[in-house]
Amino acid sequence: MKDAKAVSKMVIVGVLIVVIVIAGVVGYYLTIPSKLKETLIMGTTDSVESCLDTARAYDYFGLEIVQALGSPLVAYKPGATGVESDFIPQLATSWSVSDDGLHWTFNLRQGVKYDDGTEFNATDVKYTFERGMGIADPDGSFVGIGYSDFIESITVVSTYVVEFNLKRPFGAFLSLMAYQGSYIVDPKYAPMHGTSWNVSDVVVYKDGDPRGSNPMGLGPYTLKSWTRVAGKDTEMSLQANPNYWDASSGYPKTKNIVIKFYADSADLALAITAGDVDVAYRQLASTDITSMKSNNNLKVWNGPGLIQYLCMQEKSLPFNNTKIRQAVAAAINRTALVQTVFQGDAEELYSMIPIGMLGHTDAFKTLGDANYSYTKQLLAPLGYNENNKLVFTLWYETSGHYPQSAQQALVLKSSLEASGVISVYLESRDWAAYRTARQQEIMHSYILGWYPDYIDPDDYIYPFVQSSGGSWLHQNYANPTMDRLIEWARGNTTESARASLYGQINDLMVQDCPIIPIYQGYAYAVSRTNVQGVYLDATQTWRLWLIYATE
Amino acid sequence: MLSHLLPGLASLAKRGLAGWLVIFGGILVSVVVVMTIVSPWIAPHDPSAINVGQPLSPPSSQFPFGTDDVGRDMLSRIISGGGIMLQVAILSVIVCLMIGVPLGLFSSHTGGVIDRFVSLIMDSVYAFPGLILAIAIALVLGRGVINMALSIAVVYVPSYFRVIRSQVLSIKEMPYVEAANAAGARKRTVLSRYILPNVVPSIAVVATVNFADAILTAAGLTFIGMGVPVNVPDWGWDLTNGRRLLPSGAWWVITFPGVMIILLALGFTLMGEGLSELLSPRLEQ
Amino acid sequence: MTLRTYIISRILLTIPMIFILLTTVFLILRVLPGDPVLLHFEKMENPAAMAAMRAQLGLDKPLWAQYFDYVVGIFRGDLGKSMQDYSPVAQQIFSAFPATLELAICSMIIAVLLGVFLGVESSKAYNKPKDQVIRVFGIVTYAIPVFFLGMILQLIFGVGLHWLPVGGRISPTMEPTGLNIGNLHFSTGLFTIDSLLEGNIYKFVLTLKYLLLPSLTLGLVLCGIFIRLTRSNMLETLRLDFVTAAKARGLKESTVTYSYALRNAFLPVLTMMGLQFAMLLAGAVLTETTFSWPGLGRYLVDRINFRDYTAIQGTVVVFGIFVSIVSLAIDLLYAYLDPRIRL
Repeated sequence: MKDAKAVSKMVIVGVLIVVIVIAGVVGYYLTIPSKLKETLIMGTTDSVESCLDTARAYDYFGLEIVQALGSPLVAYKPGATGVESDFIPQLATSWSVSDDGLHWTFNLRQGVKYDDGTEFNATDVKYTFERGMGIADPDGSFVGIGYSDFIESITVVSTYVVEFNLKRPFGAFLSLMAYQGSYIVDPKYAPMHGTSWNVSDVVVYKDGDPRGSNPMGLGPYTLKSWTRVAGKDTEMSLQANPNYWDASSGYPKTKNIVIKFYADSADLALAITAGDVDVAYRQLASTDITSMKSNNNLKVWNGPGLIQYLCMQEKSLPFNNTKIRQAVAAAINRTALVQTVFQGDAEELYSMIPIGMLGHTDAFKTLGDANYSYTKQLLAPLGYNENNKLVFTLWYETSGHYPQSAQQALVLKSSLEASGVISVYLESRDWAAYRTARQQEIMHSYILGWYPDYIDPDDYIYPFVQSSGGSWLHQNYANPTMDRLIEWARGNTTESARASLYGQINDLMVQDCPIIPIYQGYAYAVSRTNVQGVYLDATQTWRLWLIYATE
Repeated sequence: MLSHLLPGLASLAKRGLAGWLVIFGGILVSVVVVMTIVSPWIAPHDPSAINVGQPLSPPSSQFPFGTDDVGRDMLSRIISGGGIMLQVAILSVIVCLMIGVPLGLFSSHTGGVIDRFVSLIMDSVYAFPGLILAIAIALVLGRGVINMALSIAVVYVPSYFRVIRSQVLSIKEMPYVEAANAAGARKRTVLSRYILPNVVPSIAVVATVNFADAILTAAGLTFIGMGVPVNVPDWGWDLTNGRRLLPSGAWWVITFPGVMIILLALGFTLMGEGLSELLSPRLEQ
Repeated sequence: MTLRTYIISRILLTIPMIFILLTTVFLILRVLPGDPVLLHFEKMENPAAMAAMRAQLGLDKPLWAQYFDYVVGIFRGDLGKSMQDYSPVAQQIFSAFPATLELAICSMIIAVLLGVFLGVESSKAYNKPKDQVIRVFGIVTYAIPVFFLGMILQLIFGVGLHWLPVGGRISPTMEPTGLNIGNLHFSTGLFTIDSLLEGNIYKFVLTLKYLLLPSLTLGLVLCGIFIRLTRSNMLETLRLDFVTAAKARGLKESTVTYSYALRNAFLPVLTMMGLQFAMLLAGAVLTETTFSWPGLGRYLVDRINFRDYTAIQGTVVVFGIFVSIVSLAIDLLYAYLDPRIRL
């Protein structure tokens, strides 16, 4: 009897031990986090347009990389819609603005180190902005946005407090501080060569020297390698910055990013489908997106995207005549374009301010779509009719810089010619030559697109129809009334006042018709199913440090 | 003409495989040429009209070859799209004939230093990668059918030159030519009566290969962006555009133009193969 | 004529040929309708910028002075400055060239191996269906536009079967570094060789994976010519008496075919390789674009889009010189192997 009891006791103990061990093991496996991949491969058809220096870079991809290599004073949180509460502290921990709106004070984060150990402080902020405004590169954002128009000076109040003194109140100032152009440089890598700032101080690509090819620092990543052959990137890789001030929060999520460059959307589409890259961003054709949505191995991400519009050369015939511009605006058929080119995956746009943003109105609807009777009515007194058609050339780019430019041009041509009184010739250039042609002002009419710099209606108005802000468009449009309205609108801080002013601006735009908004599109990214952390929000920026893939 | 054609065909057929190659190739080419010529009448839709059908619809009874991404009917585009390629090919062959043949005749007949010098130039151009030279010339001349044809022609002149020259040099040694020269016949007479007729078959072979290469080069130039404006129906343009649509599964936009280009190039190549075998009979025939 | 005399005369012949080539390219870009700077700017709208560019590139000198600078420059390895950012074209070409060289060599190897093998098979099955099929195959592959074929292969092997990557040359940061002994560093730029020098088999395999599809595409298009050449040479040789004699002696058929006949067909194949090299480079331009292969062909296409005439001129010259040197090498090798042609 004693033996049997001992045996059964032992059995019970043994079973208990086994159960506990099994529970422990199972529990362990259920609770360990899935491993994150060390290296993420991103595919793109983009290429850095000029350089990675904020003083000159004004292209989407260049600024995308700048954003990974540097840090701003404030940023939009992922998933932002553009409201005040979307700002999160970055290099600035808190900020305030004076009652008259002319002085913005930022308290800076302490203990932030550059890669050589020196500490970041207020002098670096002053340096960055004085540099950008001093260099004043005509191709860059400092001129394109007009930083010097409202920043009077920057004062170093104390080591960790910096103050911006504005010439006049600027409602979107904080938003501007979140823009890539306002990212803080590392003065050691962005020196002044002469006695004052000059365009030759811009930091350009240096073969074999990735660190020396960019003036940024303090960002989640450092540039590990970058090779370019004659203006086209061939390889780029980023690795985690060991000194990143926010590393304790787990950023960047992926330690290494490798960027592979593909010649066109067909190659990129094949690459993501085949799994050669983990995530593909810019540019895939809308046909690719449609078919990838039904692919179970892929995840399609989307968010608000670019707007596209038609520019017209207004210094000479035919577009120096407002009536002709309005006639053309009335004849285009936005619905046809959206349906045919994008299979309905875009929206007709009747204002330069995108749908959903403060200040948007459907102003251009008064001119209509495919409003051929109105077109004829406007053109008849000028002598244009079925036998004497208005003839002009429509230009588009062929590098895939914008989605399906050739198809857009074809549809625009077709709808314009359907009026019966217009005849359109199509011309095209690759992106670099297209930009040159824009500078040379040789194109009658040309299609362009826009991604926001900062999320404010001002960014959709000032760079287009303000006499100096719009100079990069080379349309030669200037109207003092428009300039005044813009200044009031950007200086005002009351939402209702601004809305009414932008309404007036929209109406004046229809009246002068300097530029014709066409459509508003979506931004798309496609990734393998194990990829997370992709945010395509109102900022239309690509936050590399948030993306990760699970093993 | 037909009365000569039929017996000609019959004798070709008797010559075995080579003859059949010529016939078959000739049929392919003729079909394409005729189709292109009558295209305005037989194309069901205007090949440049957009939104004729739902964009990117697969082949169906309504649109046997499907539609492209702006809704153009692919069948109409296939029927009308050979025009550019044929024009470029024919033009380049004509230019080559007008330049290469007289140059070859003249140089080889004259002989001496001039001959060696001209041969040297021709050899240099001949050795050069054709597409690349065509690119350089097309760049400078600009886009358009004539310029494309000229670029291709420059690259092919040496082929004609060399063939003619080697033929002439071998014929020159023939006794009847020497006799004619001894009898005091004018150079021009010798050339046209004795040499030229013997040279024609070789020219024909070179011309067919020239046609085939011209078509492929024209497609290549279009692929890298040096083709004709976008709304002229052109197989090369559809091929390039179709590439972008292929990953999403729209196989019909790229496949049909591709097949047509292959067929046309093949037609000429087969003719060339057949002709060259007929003209230089092999031991085994 | 002795071998030495032949070599010397052949080399001497190459020099004027290269000169003619250089001059032709120069003339095309300067004399044909179109001034490079004007074409670059596309319209005389900005005289100041155009004048500045002309001065920077030395295009404001008289034509003969430009020609002189140009020729001298080439011998010094200076191919001018790019119109995009005035950086030296020679350096850009030099960095893009190894990729194209690797692609060209690999494609040629595939074309020759495939062509010779199929040619032999075809000749052995003379006039039977296998022969016709192979002949037609060779003709058809030549007629396929390179980029069309490339796309099909990308779809089948890259996406469908997922065996091979669809484009690019190799993962960045994975490039073979070549031979590294202490401070000595040597690399050829040809990743296949460099990875072997480095002793890294993994990188070697990876390189081949990226190299396979583009060279297969180009190799397939060119193999037709080698099929035809090998076939006709084999047919001729197989009828020669010594072959019949060998067969009579009872040697196995395969020995006869491969050791006697093939050896005889080798020389024409070699010559054809030299002649086809030009075609190869032309095809490389299209293949590199299709497969995002970062070589000289893709560089050329990019420069064309930018209207960068100095860079284009430099690239065309480099292609030409390269082709001349290769055909020179082939001719010399041929002369060494076959005494008859020196006569």
